[in-house]
Amino acid sequence: MDFSGLIDLLLCVVGLSFFLIPFLPVRFKALTAFGFVSIVTLISSYLAISSLNNGAIEIVVNGGLVFKNITLRIDALSAWFILIVNITSFTGAWYGIGYTSHHQATPAQLSLHWVLYVVFHASMLFVCMVQHTFAFLIVWELMTISSLLLILFDFSSPKTIQAALNYLIQMHIGVALITVAFIIGYQITGSFDFNSFAATFAQGNGKWLFLVLFIGFGIKAGFIPLHSWLPHAHPAAPSHISGVMSGVIVKMGIYGILRMVLYLKNDLVLIGEIILIVSVITAFYGILNAAIHRDFKKLLAYCTVENIGIIGMGIGIGLIGKGLGNPSIEFIGFAGALLHTLNHSLYKSLLFFSAGNVYLQTHTRNMEQLGGVLKSMPLTAFFYLCGSLAICGFPPFNGFISEFLIYTGLIEGIQLENIQFSSLMIVCISFLAMIGGISLLTFTKSFGVIFLGSPRQEIAHQPKEVGRFMLIPLALILILMIGIGIFPNLLIYPLSKVVAVFGSGIVPLARLDELFVLLSNIGIASLVLFIISAVIFILKRRTEKVQTVAVSPTWGCGYTAPNTRMQYTSKSYSRNLTKLFSFWTHEKKKYKEIEKASIFPRYRSFQSYFLDFFEAKIINRGIKYLLRFTDYFTFIHNGKIQMYILYGVFFILVLIVISFFNLF
Amino acid sequence: MTSSLSLILIFISSLFFSGIVVRTKSIFSGRKGPGVFQPIKDILRLFKKGAVYSETSSFIFQIAPSIYFASIIMAILFIPFGNMPGLISFKGDFVFFAYALALGKFFMIIGAMDTGSSFEGMGAAREALYSMLVEPAFFILMGSLALFTGHTSFADIFASLHFGSHISYAIGVLATFVFIIIAMVENSRMPVDDPKTHLELTMIHEVMILDNSGFDLGLIMHAVNLKFAMYGAIIANFFLTPGYEWYFSIPIFIGAQVLFAIIVGTIESFEARFRMSHNSQFIFMLTSISLLIFLGVLLMLGKIV
Repeated sequence: MDFSGLIDLLLCVVGLSFFLIPFLPVRFKALTAFGFVSIVTLISSYLAISSLNNGAIEIVVNGGLVFKNITLRIDALSAWFILIVNITSFTGAWYGIGYTSHHQATPAQLSLHWVLYVVFHASMLFVCMVQHTFAFLIVWELMTISSLLLILFDFSSPKTIQAALNYLIQMHIGVALITVAFIIGYQITGSFDFNSFAATFAQGNGKWLFLVLFIGFGIKAGFIPLHSWLPHAHPAAPSHISGVMSGVIVKMGIYGILRMVLYLKNDLVLIGEIILIVSVITAFYGILNAAIHRDFKKLLAYCTVENIGIIGMGIGIGLIGKGLGNPSIEFIGFAGALLHTLNHSLYKSLLFFSAGNVYLQTHTRNMEQLGGVLKSMPLTAFFYLCGSLAICGFPPFNGFISEFLIYTGLIEGIQLENIQFSSLMIVCISFLAMIGGISLLTFTKSFGVIFLGSPRQEIAHQPKEVGRFMLIPLALILILMIGIGIFPNLLIYPLSKVVAVFGSGIVPLARLDELFVLLSNIGIASLVLFIISAVIFILKRRTEKVQTVAVSPTWGCGYTAPNTRMQYTSKSYSRNLTKLFSFWTHEKKKYKEIEKASIFPRYRSFQSYFLDFFEAKIINRGIKYLLRFTDYFTFIHNGKIQMYILYGVFFILVLIVISFFNLF
Repeated sequence: MTSSLSLILIFISSLFFSGIVVRTKSIFSGRKGPGVFQPIKDILRLFKKGAVYSETSSFIFQIAPSIYFASIIMAILFIPFGNMPGLISFKGDFVFFAYALALGKFFMIIGAMDTGSSFEGMGAAREALYSMLVEPAFFILMGSLALFTGHTSFADIFASLHFGSHISYAIGVLATFVFIIIAMVENSRMPVDDPKTHLELTMIHEVMILDNSGFDLGLIMHAVNLKFAMYGAIIANFFLTPGYEWYFSIPIFIGAQVLFAIIVGTIESFEARFRMSHNSQFIFMLTSISLLIFLGVLLMLGKIV
């Protein structure tokens, strides 16, 4: 089979979308783009699945003098990520058809949006395939720019522009770091191929170079303290893009880290410990912030930070296992990380899409204004509930499986010989348990406040259920999630192929079979739980048939004039938690003290909002000092063109002097 | 068949558990008190009653108690009896155990939010916070036991828990203490929550179920009994060393349950409820006790001298 033909076909499809979508009538643009995305999905999934079945596919493209030979290699790791990208991009495009049709967008806007969606999807696929540093940077940049423009769909709002700029700048700090590391790598080995990193990392300073790459990719993934773009960009983007961003763009950062981890040979344990600790703090910080925010898309964005932390924990455990030569822990760690990557992309896109439905109908992202949406949008509520259960890691959904694997890795880590690992792992377990507890709080809050109770405010738009067409992709995701939750054992053998890429030692088959049985037990247990619940519910229904069932107002505890504004709000729900962790949750209040003369009632305003600890205390403060420092050099930037020409002349002179005396 | 023994025994002890608690409390306060089976009779009566639903509530409110009850039954399926494993047992099943219980809690909480009552929302928020704070203690404790025995499932851990040196007794006692407190917190009992209080503002669990009635209320009430009996069974397992015959271990099991119920009644009689703001400190203290257990295990295994 000639795979390079398929790659050419893929590029042709993307190119065709450039020329076709802009010239179509408005109502066909999104559908056509969806068609293109489906074709790209089909082709690349075929490539990925055949690579998983028959081993790595390698295609070499001649890139001319500058690039030399560009290697496109699809190994099991690439294949896994290609499949993740495809699932979410496909459902995202489908959901986006309905979502954009509700927007009053100009035809030009729509054309740009949908062409870029196709480009964006393809660029992510190429990020997974290209294994040539120079070409990688180009596709990586293509992915960043196209996603930036996708965020800017609603460019009339200044907040969106601000979030997009923030995203742009932070992504380019990341790219700069990655570029530096790639250049150093090229200097050491003289090769553009990713495989040369094995030699690069083997050098004395390998771990520092890895650290630079980790930070570079970590900005994309959203490890703290590099996460601050996420809570701005996700709410600003239209919901189908937020779903795809949270589901897969941040996962490209994880892919980059995993790809580089592959070539690490020395200091594995140390790096593993660092990643584990950073990840635990990331996860805890992420979920803590998710619990306090009132904007439901911001909440989901912080929750992404949490899940990135959990994925990172898996990577850390895997690295420690690899460093200690313990194939079982290595397998469980990496398998947990990879599976959680897939799971998170599924349930997070489900959550973003169903939250998008709510936003579409109510035009607000502030939970305090909502309430009782379940009655008008029952299906959306159902999907959001399933997503919440999955993200909290409850059986019978998929989230439990990957968290279970990570727990298993930690428990096996406790039993390691060295006390250092036992202590580290027990701390991690207790944090992971707390993270689980806070995510329960976060998602009972968001589901309860948005969908349950009565509406807290009169909303201009009366919400009603969105069309069935928009709900089909959500149902598809849900089916996949339950499938993974009930039959997790089926994923073990494909996963073992992916983890084998990392393999120092190959996982013994007996251990895999043991895990297969273990996971099938979990599937059975999840099913049993479901069946018991169903049986009890049916029993209840039967007894209620013979009894009288009455409907009356909620018991007001003796208070005779309750109103809907008195319901527990999202702020009051998480207030105790906020107080408990007040060193990390910065609440700012804006109000005027009541003065002596103003005791008589009149209109007052009170505002409270939360600041991101790292953004407010570290990043913004650093930027403030940087700006103050650069202020000293404003005299250079004086707006006189003669001066600018003089600078140029001066610069050329310096260059001449340097080259004349051979200074460098 | 032997594997369902623990399920049956836990079910039997759940029938008289709160009866003993109530009886103990009434004796301490100088009253005669109701019979031991009075609470279960009340629950049976509730099962036969009709229900009143709030007009604000939706299907969530209707399914929540059933799922809550199911989650507890699910958790009980994992509990072993001495060296006989529970009905379901696999490596790392205590993670499933904790998450199944949390699933039940999730539904109770959103069930309370579903009524749109400010009081029930308050109870829900507290329940979520306190159950979050309990989690680390449970996981550290089970992690330490896993380290101690080298096994990761309830059945294997309790089957191979041997009592040898002095420190192991200390660990057993501390673990029992932690489980008692976890059971008190999870069931919203005295030092944290007062089930007999009359003021909704100071309630946790009771205020969440203000609107439940009939069959649902019966389920929730009996769930408390089952949960107590379940933790009692875990505690009893610390003292059921393997190899003993059933005619020996069943009385030990029942005895442990009765003793546990009396302890709960005693604590409830003599302890006052904490201020709400002190609860989180108290609950988090459990984590430090379970860290002590972890240190004890490290000492015993000779990892630290």
